[in-house]
Amino acid sequence: MDSHDEVPQPTADDERPAPVAVASEQRLERRVVAYWYATHLVRALAMAAMFVVVSRSLRAEIELPAWSEYVAWGLAIAVVVSALVVPAWAYATWRFSVDDRLLSMRFGMLFVEDRRVPVPRMQHVDISRGPIERLFGLATFVVFTAGNEGSAFRLPGLSQARAEALRDGVLRARGRDVV
Amino acid sequence: MSSDADATGPTQATEPQARVLLAGSLHPLVLLLRLLDGIRQSVFPLVLGIASEPMFLAVAAVVFLLHVGQGLLRYLTFHYTLTTDELRTREGLLHRQERRIPIDRIQDIGFESTLLRRALGLAVVRVETASGQGVEAQLDSLSQADAERLREALLAARSLRVGAVESADPEVAAPRAPMPDPEWTVYRAESSMLLLRGLTDLRFGAMAVAAYGAYELADQLGMFTRLQGVGNTFEQWLRGFPTVVAASLLAGLVAAVLAFSSATAALGNLLAFHGFRLTLRADALSCRFGLITTRQKTLPRARIQRVRVEQTWLRRLLSVAVARADSAGAGRGVDDEAPGGYDVIVPLAPLQSIGAMLPAALPGFESERGSVRRASPRLVLRLAARGAIEAIVLAAVLWPAVGASAAFAFLWLPVAWLLGRLAWHGLEFGLFERHIYLRTGLLGHYRVYVPTHKVQAVSVHQGPLQRALGLAEIAVFVAGGPPTRIPDLELADARAMLSDLASRAALAAMQDWRNPAV
Repeated sequence: MDSHDEVPQPTADDERPAPVAVASEQRLERRVVAYWYATHLVRALAMAAMFVVVSRSLRAEIELPAWSEYVAWGLAIAVVVSALVVPAWAYATWRFSVDDRLLSMRFGMLFVEDRRVPVPRMQHVDISRGPIERLFGLATFVVFTAGNEGSAFRLPGLSQARAEALRDGVLRARGRDVV
Repeated sequence: MSSDADATGPTQATEPQARVLLAGSLHPLVLLLRLLDGIRQSVFPLVLGIASEPMFLAVAAVVFLLHVGQGLLRYLTFHYTLTTDELRTREGLLHRQERRIPIDRIQDIGFESTLLRRALGLAVVRVETASGQGVEAQLDSLSQADAERLREALLAARSLRVGAVESADPEVAAPRAPMPDPEWTVYRAESSMLLLRGLTDLRFGAMAVAAYGAYELADQLGMFTRLQGVGNTFEQWLRGFPTVVAASLLAGLVAAVLAFSSATAALGNLLAFHGFRLTLRADALSCRFGLITTRQKTLPRARIQRVRVEQTWLRRLLSVAVARADSAGAGRGVDDEAPGGYDVIVPLAPLQSIGAMLPAALPGFESERGSVRRASPRLVLRLAARGAIEAIVLAAVLWPAVGASAAFAFLWLPVAWLLGRLAWHGLEFGLFERHIYLRTGLLGHYRVYVPTHKVQAVSVHQGPLQRALGLAEIAVFVAGGPPTRIPDLELADARAMLSDLASRAALAAMQDWRNPAV
């Protein structure tokens, strides 16, 4: 029972749902790992610092058992370690493919997700680029379907050119069917 | 009316095929409603003004004038026009607002009239689109005849457009607006069923809120000090009895409270759903109901994204159920009831008769063949394992505080296992030719039917425990409300369903593109 945390990594590849036969699988841009490291590490260090500082100041104010300090340090270290592991792992698990019928996305480390969005069901498509994303020359492709909840599907870590090609491909596939 | 038709001349030039079918403005009696509204709004400052500060009289006057003036302005400037393409509403003098709703996008047309409006022969027309904000345009109010005419014209315009696109059959393509389609009653609610609906209403949440409100009020009025005395004497009075009698007295009191809340719920249901009638005409379902406030809604069948048949445990014991239909943009949670009961298509009926009525809401359901399947029995294992993890975490957290007593956390384990058994027994699903069927629930049964051609996206999800056990959850996204999730399938089944549903959805979507009116 305690072992299921170790299970994912070795058997990860055969656990994944089978790839689509029609379109060839693609991976994200390699430099998305660098982008994720940059953002995750900054956030993780800030959080770790916060844990330690808060536990210190709490100990000054009220009486806490001695081990509360270790808990805070443990949390801080866990956050930083996960920020070191997650980007590379996430990159390794991300696959997507697109043809004129379907956009497929597979990703996730512990929680694995396999999504299929029919191209003709897309209401509109966006390319979003945050300031830090722009520094790394990356873009996120966002697809919207009808509905309210969970109707936006995000495909991160593409180069601007690839995102635009994806968008144009989707629009072309739709345009043909509109006629 | 004719001048209104002339006013839309220029737009007609740009859209040559658009023809004005109907135009009009609000009914003059609306002014009376606004007047009453104004009086109601200004009553409070008026009373205050008479009683104490004369300044409030001015406030009352301003409130009254503002209200009535706004009502008058709205009445004078509000116009609606229905063309073969769209419904247009226009209002405002300085801040002019024009709204155009393409007929294809209209999901739902509803009428609502309160007692007063009914006495005056008025109805509020509510037009819903898929935008998710519920009501897109509200015409408050038209005469009932005008409202009826608007609905007829809208439906006729819709079926004309659908007919024009589906012109494979020349007879269907011929304009059929002048000849009204026959209307047949799918379901008519009996009062006994409505009464039962109220009696089996398990809205403890609402009761809790009411109780809290009463508590607040009592606290504000300083009743607790007095109540304490009453409570003490009551306690002493109770102690005077032998234990058995005291216990049964208390039980009787609780039963009385429950009976009272059931009775009010029954009454509320009788009033709200009085005379409920579900009819089908051409491709539209409509419901008419209500005693004091009457409501009517029309839901084109092609707009139905999902039908839910719900049984709480009490209703399951009596094998009766409630049916609801979600249209696009409903934007409600799975368990929420739409305000005013607008999503209800059957308030309460025996489960079997609901099964017989389903094809009326889901065309093609009557010819569905296929087997209903059970989830993987490892579902129980997964929930038990999750329970074990939760118990370990709970014990670890409690250990420093309570020591060895933290081991009691492991009592959660058998409970989790039992819940898992119940969940497995409740869960069944089926993938038919044109519909997905899912039943969930621990004690109650909640059935969901989704037409596969309404699927917007599909996804398979696996958490760490599910991966260890080779299980997966499939989520089916439709345009109305949150996705429908089928938990704990065998991974191979989930993958097969994923590919199957995704390609069906893509195919259906392509057909929708060629045939946009549907």
